[in-house]
Amino acid sequence: MNTYTYPKNDELLQRAARHIPCGVYGHQGPAEGCFIPIGAFPKFADHAKGSYFYDVDGNRFLDYMCAYGPNILGYCDEDVNAAARQQMELGDCITAPSYKMVELAELMCDTVACADWAFFAKNGGDVTTLSILAARAATGRKKIIFVRGYYHGVAQWTQRADAPWVLPGEVENNLLVDFNDIEGLKRVIEENKDDIACFISTPYMHGNFVDNVLPAPGYWQEVRRLCTENGIVLIIDDVRCGWRLDLAGSDHYYGFEADLLCLCKGIANGYNVSCLCGKDFLRGAVSSITYTGSYWMSAVPFAAAIACINKMKAMDGAQRHLELGRKVCDALAAAARENGVNLVISGEPCLFYLRIADDDSLLLHQEWIAEMVRRGVYLTNHHNHFTNLSLTDEDIAFTAQVANEAFQVLRSRHPEIYQG
Amino acid sequence: MKDPLVMAHVNMWAVLRTLEPLCELDDSARSLASPRRPVSIGINVRGGPQATLSFQDGACRMTRRNTGQIKLLLPSPEDFNRMVDGEKNPLPYAGFPRLGFLLKNFTALTDLLSAYLRPQPSDLEDRGFFERSTTLLFYLVAGALAAVANNDPLGRISAAAIPDGTIALEIQDGPCAEITARGGHLITRRRKAVSPRAYMIFSDFDAARGLFDGTLEAMSALAAGKIIMKGYIPMIDNLNRVLNRVPVYLQ
Repeated sequence: MNTYTYPKNDELLQRAARHIPCGVYGHQGPAEGCFIPIGAFPKFADHAKGSYFYDVDGNRFLDYMCAYGPNILGYCDEDVNAAARQQMELGDCITAPSYKMVELAELMCDTVACADWAFFAKNGGDVTTLSILAARAATGRKKIIFVRGYYHGVAQWTQRADAPWVLPGEVENNLLVDFNDIEGLKRVIEENKDDIACFISTPYMHGNFVDNVLPAPGYWQEVRRLCTENGIVLIIDDVRCGWRLDLAGSDHYYGFEADLLCLCKGIANGYNVSCLCGKDFLRGAVSSITYTGSYWMSAVPFAAAIACINKMKAMDGAQRHLELGRKVCDALAAAARENGVNLVISGEPCLFYLRIADDDSLLLHQEWIAEMVRRGVYLTNHHNHFTNLSLTDEDIAFTAQVANEAFQVLRSRHPEIYQG
Repeated sequence: MKDPLVMAHVNMWAVLRTLEPLCELDDSARSLASPRRPVSIGINVRGGPQATLSFQDGACRMTRRNTGQIKLLLPSPEDFNRMVDGEKNPLPYAGFPRLGFLLKNFTALTDLLSAYLRPQPSDLEDRGFFERSTTLLFYLVAGALAAVANNDPLGRISAAAIPDGTIALEIQDGPCAEITARGGHLITRRRKAVSPRAYMIFSDFDAARGLFDGTLEAMSALAAGKIIMKGYIPMIDNLNRVLNRVPVYLQ
């Protein structure tokens, strides 16, 4: 199997670095994206369709990152794009918001189990921040309970005091508990009685660099009970999982009801809209907050979201994601087993997290990922992956074939670990 | 904000400790570190760090005890910092027969170190000087990383988040340092790392220099392949937080 080279990608990155901080900043860039080694990864896309994207050198990648989540149906889905195109002809960013916003809000409330209302913005961080503001406004309290290893965006309140851009006061009300640790949560609540505004968590721990952890039986029900008893707003950050596990919300999937649910990535198949859904008792608090943005009421993403949600419903999309995820995980696990590699697969199958556990430095894992990418299967080193509904059995067979070859490369390079 | 106690640790474990590699890299330093009989200088900073610098056969060695023949007592971290900055002369209270070494050789050594660590731009045009200067800066930063991580309040937050293990810090085909993290405490050793769990490698002296001088921005350098990071990245991510604090004390 040929391996890819990236001359045009690399040239573009040099150009980018001259005019853009980092060249490519954030999670899609080489630094935060953990492109290890940098030469194994494409840096710029040319176009995308279905499960694949094509870089500026013409290399094709079967993409298991799905733009870090938004690609839920398949890139450039014809139904979603048609709805977006139609709305584009009518108008997108207009002085008065389009009626499409109302239609989408109604659809969200019909779709999401905990939603009595819906508030739209652009990115996940917009709505996780709004959820914190709303919880503080509603309770008059200041403290936030986080789960250790959390990620809820990049706003100051999500950071640590040692970040150079953060003032200590911006994070002094942050409390930490471990996931699945009910006793620890009880202790933190007791120690901060009547001063906790909210508990914010993802529906399961899909942190980076660590195996992902599902909720223990009864965990969420007990968290729900504790939050209700203590007047703590329960916020579920469903930005990453949302729609893939359950269109009614991942809280619904795990059998409880959040007070606030943050959604973004999966809503509109890549069109830029995020949404905070919430219970009636928080409607007034959200209404009282001055919170807006220039493009938050653009109509094209609303139209795209309506089309995406309806298509997901028609396809029984969440169930299909789970099935596809299981197939991909089974294929990767089989390839690893055949090659004597200890590949740990964790998290929900449609958001699978991978780790080769044969060394504690993750160097072997990084080598394997690099060989996968060089052969056209786009995985990332230390972030969970994503399925999309255009994946086919042929795509999964190709994944298995590439995985097998990449494992063989690893074996041949490391006879000291993989003998025989 | 620059904390005087943290500054004292940086001055001891990063600045003065760099006299060790200076004596390995520079002939005149080697000569200055060659007294007829071994000489040691104990530095006791009241309420701060203690160490002994020993000079023998052209080599300098720092140990974490105050056992020197010449004994210097600094009443406070602030006094020690002023001494390192050349603004205050220390008062020895023992080792008077060897004061000549303190006044002449040691002063000349610290002046030489300053010339390498704060060079004139014209000096850097000499490639040999440039590489020696960059090597010393590399060891200075490596030492400062541990000093800041272990003592600075914000540095301690970062250090506490560094998973246990060893980080290899290197300039490719150049100097190496091993930084070991254990329970949020960092130790820097001047050697190639043994069984590192994570790597931060500068592609060459120019990349390292650019980063130390602030003319090269770290994330862009990473994107350009001038800094290579691999292995258990949370170690590097949090070490970089400490690295961000280091200029507060070294500028």
